[in-house]
Formats: sequence, C-alpha cells, structure tokens
Amino acid sequence: MTSMSSLQHTNEQPVVRIIDLHKYFGSLEVLKGVDLEVSRGEVVTIMGPSGSGKSTLLRCINLLEKPTSGQVWFDDICITDPKTNINKLREHVGMVFQSFNLFPHLSAKGNIMLALKKVLKRSQEEAEQIALDQLAKVGLSDRADYRPSQLSGGQQQRVAIARALAMDPQVMLFDEATSALDPELVRGVLDVMRELAKGGMTMIVVTHEMGFARDVADRAVFMDEGVIVEQGCPEALFDNPQHERTRDFLGHII
Amino acid sequence: MIKVNKHSTASSTIRSILVTIAVLSLIVCLTAGSTQAVGLTINKTTAQSNQIVGNNIIGGVPTRITWEATVGANETVKQITLVFPEGTALGEGANSKATVLDDLTRLDAPQTSTISAEQTTVTFDEPVASGLLIRIEMYFIALPEASGEYRLTGSYVDSAGKERELQASRAISVISATTVDVITLWMDDQPWVELWNSVLFLKVFLNPQLIVASIPALFLGWLRSLLLVLVGFPLAIPIGLAISFLRMSKLRIIRFFAAIYVNVIRGTPLFLQIYIAFFGLPFLGISIDSYILGILVLAVNSSAYLAEIFRAGIQSIPKGQFEASASLGMHPAQTMFHVILPQTIRRVIPTATSEFILLYKDTSLLAAVGVMEQMMFAKSMVASTGNMTPYIVSAGYYLLITLPLTKIIAEFEKKLAAADDNSSAPDDKKKPKMSLLERMKSIQKIKALRNKK
Repeated sequence: MTSMSSLQHTNEQPVVRIIDLHKYFGSLEVLKGVDLEVSRGEVVTIMGPSGSGKSTLLRCINLLEKPTSGQVWFDDICITDPKTNINKLREHVGMVFQSFNLFPHLSAKGNIMLALKKVLKRSQEEAEQIALDQLAKVGLSDRADYRPSQLSGGQQQRVAIARALAMDPQVMLFDEATSALDPELVRGVLDVMRELAKGGMTMIVVTHEMGFARDVADRAVFMDEGVIVEQGCPEALFDNPQHERTRDFLGHII
Repeated sequence: MIKVNKHSTASSTIRSILVTIAVLSLIVCLTAGSTQAVGLTINKTTAQSNQIVGNNIIGGVPTRITWEATVGANETVKQITLVFPEGTALGEGANSKATVLDDLTRLDAPQTSTISAEQTTVTFDEPVASGLLIRIEMYFIALPEASGEYRLTGSYVDSAGKERELQASRAISVISATTVDVITLWMDDQPWVELWNSVLFLKVFLNPQLIVASIPALFLGWLRSLLLVLVGFPLAIPIGLAISFLRMSKLRIIRFFAAIYVNVIRGTPLFLQIYIAFFGLPFLGISIDSYILGILVLAVNSSAYLAEIFRAGIQSIPKGQFEASASLGMHPAQTMFHVILPQTIRRVIPTATSEFILLYKDTSLLAAVGVMEQMMFAKSMVASTGNMTPYIVSAGYYLLITLPLTKIIAEFEKKLAAADDNSSAPDDKKKPKMSLLERMKSIQKIKALRNKK
C-alpha cells in the first residue's frame, strides 16, 4: 500500500475517511477491508475490473449500500453509526449514476427543483432560480423544460450532475458516469466534471476514462477483488504500476 | 271513572250497558251486510295493461276491460247495461261477452250483446239467478285519451222487468300515452316490423318495439350500475394502495396478513363474497342498505386486485429511481409520493382501467341479492315480456362504457410504449416505430434463419 501520495493533501482533516470497510452480499465478500481517505478539494478516481468492488465502495459512502463492518466518516460524523441521520448527510454528498436516474415524469428543471423544495425547503421561486443557474453551468439552459425522454444520454447525465450540484454538496460521487454514453456524448459530460474539479469540488470518481484521470485526478486508486491494490498520482500509477494486477488491467483497457 | 271505581254497584251497571251496546252494534253491522247483498254487488272492474313495458293502462289505446258482479239475494238479472266514460272509443273488432259463474263452475248463459262507443248491453236469454257471478269482458275498448280515474256506470234489469241503477264501479286509472308508447304502438302497425318479427330469432332477441321500450326503461338501471362502480372503484383505490404498501412492508408479519387479504379475495369468486356479505351480516345483526353494501363489497373485492396492480407498478420502477431520490436526501415517504407514485400511476392506468371494466361488469352479480341495478331491471322486463330483447339492450348499455374504455386503454398503452422507446433511445425518434407484434415477428424470423444455419 502506498499511502505516501495522499500526504500532499493532509494539511487538513480528510472529508471522507473509510476505515476497514467490509461488505458482504450474502456469502460473497465484495469489499475485503478497504481504507481510504479523501481530503477536501481532492479528486480521486477509482479504477478496477468489474466486480472489483469499486461501485460498492462508492455506494457505501452515502449508504446506498450498508457496510457489513467498518466505518465511514464524513468530516467528524460517523455515518455508519445507526444514530446518524443519513438523509441529512446525503444532502451533502451528491451522487451521479451510470444510468442517470433522472425522474422521467419531471422536466429537467423539475428534476433539479424537487429535492430543493422537499429536502432543503426552498420556495418555488428560489428552487427555480437555482435550477436554472445549475442548468446554465452544464450548458443546458435551453433544455430546462424538456423531459428526460427528450434529451440525449449526455444531456441527461449533465442534468443529473446539475441536480446533484444544486444541493450544494461537499463531496460528489460519480459512479461510472460516462459508461452508458455513446462515445461522442462522453466529452460533454467529462467537460462538466473537469470544470467541477477545477472549481475545487471534492470528487470520488469511479471511471475507466484514463485521459480524464490523468488530467484531473489528484490520485488514482486501483481496486481488485475487494481491496485497494495500488494508489498514487495518476501518472505514476498508469505509467509505472507496481503490481502485476494493475499492469494486467491497464494492459487490457489501453 | 274514578268515582265509578269507588262504587262497585254503579260500575257493574255501566258494564252491562256497554255489553248491550256492543251486541246491538253487531246486529246493525250484520243487517247492513245483508242489505248490501240486495242488488248487484260489483266485485271488480279492471282493465288490462296495454303498455309494452309496464303495468299502466294507456288512454286512447284499445284494452280489455273486465267487470264482475254478484247477483244479490232474492233477485235475478235479465239484462246489464254498462256505460263507458265519455270519450271512450271502440277499437277494431270491439265486442263484449258475459260469463256466468257459480263459484268456479262456468254456467251456460246464452246471451245477446250490443256494443257502441257509449255503452254495451248484455241480455241473457234466461235470467241469472241470485248468488251467481256475472263477468263481462269488453274487448278493444279505448278508454279516454286524457289521463284520469274512470268508472263504469249503468243499470240492470231484473226478471220482473224492473230497471235499477248500478253502483258505480271501482275506478280504472288511465295514463296518457308516453312517447315510447306512441312509438311502439306506431311500430305495431308497420309492415316492416311485422316482417322483421316474423323471423323468430329477430322477434325474440331483437324485437323492435321492445328495443324502443327497453332503452328508457333500463336507463335508470344503467345509472344505478354505473353509480355502483363509480363510487366503489374510487373507494377501492386508497384501500388497494394501502394494502400494496403493507404487501411491501419490511415486517414479515404485516406482509403475511396483507398477502392473506389479497390471496383470499382474489382466490374466491366475487359471487361468493356477495353472498357471504349479504346473508352473513344480518346474522351479526348488522343491516346495511343493500345498495351501499353492494358498493362496499365491490370496493373490498377490487382493492385486492388493485393492490397487486399497484405493487407490480411500484416494483416495476427501476431501483435507480429510489437510489437517486435517496442520494438527494429525500425520505422514503417523499420518494414514494413525489418520485415513485407519479410514475407508477402512469404505468398502472391501463391495468387499473381494465380492472374498472371488470368491476363494472361484475356489478351485475349484485342482481342475485336483489340490488336494484341494470341486470335486475332487465331481468324483470324479460320476465314481464317473455322476450330476450331487454337483455340485448342491456348488453348495449354495458358496451356503451366498456368499449370506449377499452379503446382508451389501447391508446394509452401505445403512448406508454412510445414513451418507453424514447427514453431508451432518444435519437431514434425519426425511425418508424415497430409494434410489439412486428418486433416479435422479426425476432422469430431471425431465430428461424439461425436455425437454418
């Protein structure tokens, strides 16, 4: 384990801390003791073959999956503590899914406004203003009243990002956000994510986009079979992997 | 009275006076009764209903009038003249005929009778003896067109040749013809109707006069059936939704009981449930208006079906929708009401509408327990006319609701399918859509090709 590379961000307390996380699905152990710290403003990409547990790890951070054992800390809140109000915490952790998961019965604007009104109790006008601002940021001002079914996959994903950002999260989780997109649509989404990273957002990104990881990530993590095999700055990890499994994987996807 | 009670002698005197009065009054009554027997006593005056549906007597339309009287004691009757109300007309072939009865035995009574629009006169060859019953039937008599109560008056002549006045008969209620009566009566005379009705099948199932008569007669029944389902079904929706939530509860015991509710109700005939409710509740001392009970049974029955429809609808919503809502910090209840249910409703509208159609048709089962609804109306019409046409008209009334709804479901399903296609492939919009059938056919073709190889 090379934990050295993360030291460059340790000038403050990590915003997300994962300690010895285990997750079983039935008798299948998907996470076999994962430790990970993410500092404020850091962009971490997680890679690994399918079934390596990377998505599960991400989903444990906002408790979409309940860890079997181990702890997840958000700032100084232990979110794996059953007493923690998980809905309160989720307001601060935005998530973007591979399959977009927009609400099909609401317009792009409506998708963004719903949680603003229901969770943050914003007024209709406030929510609408925030929604329009966020849509502008992802370049979809002209699509505010379109239903998801009237948008392309890339546009849908950008709306989904806008929806998560509207909640003003402190951490954004991206779960293979571009994997379901046609290649020509990937770029628009990655551009939005780049902008976001530049703006100082803390991001944990499960992705296979090497280019994106190289450009944007502060740290790249390679996972396999439920453990973090190797992590480091993207250049080091991609160009000079230390582990056989990492080399194998990279050899396959390049 | 208090004083009387104090003096026992006085009270006994009063008692004997009271008894005397009672006896006297009894005698008076009996005498009065025997005086009534003098002269002709009219027993009955009726007219046969000439309405195609219903029991009314329409004015201006020929009918049969029956008049009955008993010959008084020590008296014989030679001739009877019955005077019709003013405005009476005679139909074609009008005549009158007297029958003489001794209890139930019909006696031979040679007679001559004359009839006019004003009156009919029956003259017996031999005077009719006392105590016998004379029944005069007058055929094809059209009572006055204006509605009202009409009586027959007249006189009779005894064997001595003395003419006596008749008591006025009981009134016959006459209504003026309704539009339906006018139409059906007009149809009676049409050659094409006659031709049509000469075919047995058409006459029995599609009798033109009865079609005309049934439509208004069944309308109220149709409304009552519709009301049963229009109240019952909306009532079933919240119950069904609640049950569907219970079916998906985290607690096993709750899921268990909800499953019992659903499976028992869906696993037994509605007819049986109606019988249990209608005949079982009175045993418990619970009496509910049958129409309201009918609505309740329908609602409970439908709620079980709707529960499964809703559950399937909710569970068909992709998991990602729940996760996206959760990741935005929404509570399960907020997620359910603002994200899941609005999508579920769209998805379940076709199946829920089918369920509405089923329930609407099932309202007819309530006829078995006497709830006044369309089936019941049709049944009584069929019973009174001896013709199947009211059932056919009834079928038309049911189709009036079910056919358009079926069409709407088909349209809605098409729309939903199109929407689903769009959401999965937004860039395919310009391509012509393949229907499900076409798609299945093309898949089969591909499979067939593969098998050849």
